[in-house]
Amino acid sequence: METFLFYLFGALMLGAAVMTVASRSAVAAAVWLVFSFVCAAGVFALLAAPFLAILQILIYAGAIMVLFLFVIMMLQGPVLPAEVAGRTVGRKALLALPAAAIAVILISWAARGRETPFGATPVTGTAAAVAELLLNRYLLAFELISIVLLVAIVGAMSLGRNEEGQP
Amino acid sequence: MTVGLTHYLVLAAAMFLVGMAGVLIRRNSLIVFMSIEIMLSAANLVFAAYSRLHGDLAGHVFVLMVFAVAAAEAAIGLAILVEIHRLRRSVNVDDLNTLME
Repeated sequence: METFLFYLFGALMLGAAVMTVASRSAVAAAVWLVFSFVCAAGVFALLAAPFLAILQILIYAGAIMVLFLFVIMMLQGPVLPAEVAGRTVGRKALLALPAAAIAVILISWAARGRETPFGATPVTGTAAAVAELLLNRYLLAFELISIVLLVAIVGAMSLGRNEEGQP
Repeated sequence: MTVGLTHYLVLAAAMFLVGMAGVLIRRNSLIVFMSIEIMLSAANLVFAAYSRLHGDLAGHVFVLMVFAVAAAEAAIGLAILVEIHRLRRSVNVDDLNTLME
């Protein structure tokens, strides 16, 4: 059962990611990416990480993708300036070459040797267990990341202001 | 064959490569941004897989950090894109070559 679910979610996640990269329209790409992130949440659930699975849907598929869609609608409006005068096939192949090289290295490294099986009894990452770790041992990192988010909010607001200084 | 660490690593590697190909090949900077999110998501999978292997939840905490950084990156990056669009009327990465000329 677990094997079946792994291949199901893995294939859907990867397929949706490929569709994201291959879509001509940015809106279609964003919708495929939401689907990919929902499948990634399924993979997290298989890895005994229910809290991460929920956060993946809430933060990634929810908040971040809404931001993306909002900006796409704002920038591209009704007429999509599609990829006019696309790159030539030769240029694309040249760009894909380093990707292919790293693909060979990365996948052969990941698939090297024999399968490393997981332990029989997983440590489940429930909200309580993760919060315990986050608010004790990693408290400093937690506070620092909240400052990063604060700076990001202020930065995004100051970048988004128009010439007259109106927000 | 049971699904173990190697399966997840290969899946994450493939996911990362899809994102990298997107960054290299696409010209619409919005889709380039989405490809970066795909790469971050692949890194998250590796964190969660090793966390499962070692029975240690520290990996989950790191995934939370990556979530926060991804959110910050998306907010700042998209704000910069809006500004670039205001100035240049384009989100095509090949049009943004002022420093090259």
